[in-house]
Amino acid sequence: MIRKILFFFCCLFHFGLQAQDKTIILDKSTLDISYFPANFPLLKVQEKTTAPLQARLIYSRPAMNGRVIFGDLIAYDKIWRLGANEATEIEFYQDVSIANARIKKGRYTLYAIPQSSKWTILINKETDTWGSFRYNINKEVFKTDLPVEKTSESAEYFTMYFEATEKGMQLLMLWENSKVVLPIETSIKSK
Amino acid sequence: MLRTSILFISLSVFMACKRHEAQDISQRDIDTTLKFGQVNALVTIDQSPMDISYYPSDYPILKMNETGKEAPIARVIYSRPHKKGRKVFGTSSNSICVYGKEWRLGANEATEIEFFRDLSIAGKPIKAGRYVLYCIPFANRWLIILNTNLYTWGLHMDSTKDVLKIDLPVAEQKPALEDFTMVFNGKGDSVNLQIAWDQLTVSLPMVFQQQ
Repeated sequence: MIRKILFFFCCLFHFGLQAQDKTIILDKSTLDISYFPANFPLLKVQEKTTAPLQARLIYSRPAMNGRVIFGDLIAYDKIWRLGANEATEIEFYQDVSIANARIKKGRYTLYAIPQSSKWTILINKETDTWGSFRYNINKEVFKTDLPVEKTSESAEYFTMYFEATEKGMQLLMLWENSKVVLPIETSIKSK
Repeated sequence: MLRTSILFISLSVFMACKRHEAQDISQRDIDTTLKFGQVNALVTIDQSPMDISYYPSDYPILKMNETGKEAPIARVIYSRPHKKGRKVFGTSSNSICVYGKEWRLGANEATEIEFFRDLSIAGKPIKAGRYVLYCIPFANRWLIILNTNLYTWGLHMDSTKDVLKIDLPVAEQKPALEDFTMVFNGKGDSVNLQIAWDQLTVSLPMVFQQQ
């Protein structure tokens, strides 16, 4: 059923391309934003915020689409942009600390080097760039290894979101049956 | 064939997206607070997907291909609703965008425009930085507004934080667009943000300062 739908979707997409100019093409892996506190814009419009905006992540969300992801589509030991299209962007609205390293407030790109049981997470100062094809190691500001947890249910779409913790927040990264958690400490109390 | 496709699309969109259009805030709240274990439902794919446009156009790709490239000049982050057979602009409340009522120029979050340099719009100086961009559409012209109330959902604009309002003529968009679209085009420091949906297009002129 899903295959059939995809087939029809592709057909329509194809007609669309012929009929309209390139500016209207929708990305296959759509862009999304995650905030900490989660859903900050909604809380703000409802006047329910209890803490200021502390982090925001902009990333594209590829789908599994029946493919094997880690170790196949996403090769082990190679830098991956944690998404698709543009390099994934993470912004901190105040200084934070990750694994005892101080990260200054600002806009960064976020990458991973996946392996079967651990991912190396990289934070880089080179922003507004595409993918990880020209990773600029001179602008790397942080690097840490994190264990991979295996989940029983697989995530069809690559998903990243923030959760509150006692010391600040954590960024969860989920795709296929892999789950990696990046703890981020802030000095801001959520309540 | 086309009809069948549309039917299947609607079905797949319906299946893939529990996150409804933003009118229903509480529904989305529920959707996004589901717990782990329901991974795909947790942060579902948006019905109106988000997109990003840079000036210079496709800046990240240019940067990838050229080391030491200077900083981008502007970017806009917005969501892209689809027409899906509905009336887009009109006077009645069953239009998606109603004449005389504010519209977030997209869907979901308020649209964000970021200028990486100081600029002027219609002779008025604007500082580099991030702004919310929204509009009030009328039949032959749109009021385009820059606002400083950032990181908010696009339903209730705080007009006390407006920093610029500019009245712009509406032109015909050919071919008509199914998906709401914003792109920058221009030459050097003179740039237009082209805003287009269905059969209408509006161009916001900007002149950026030299580096």
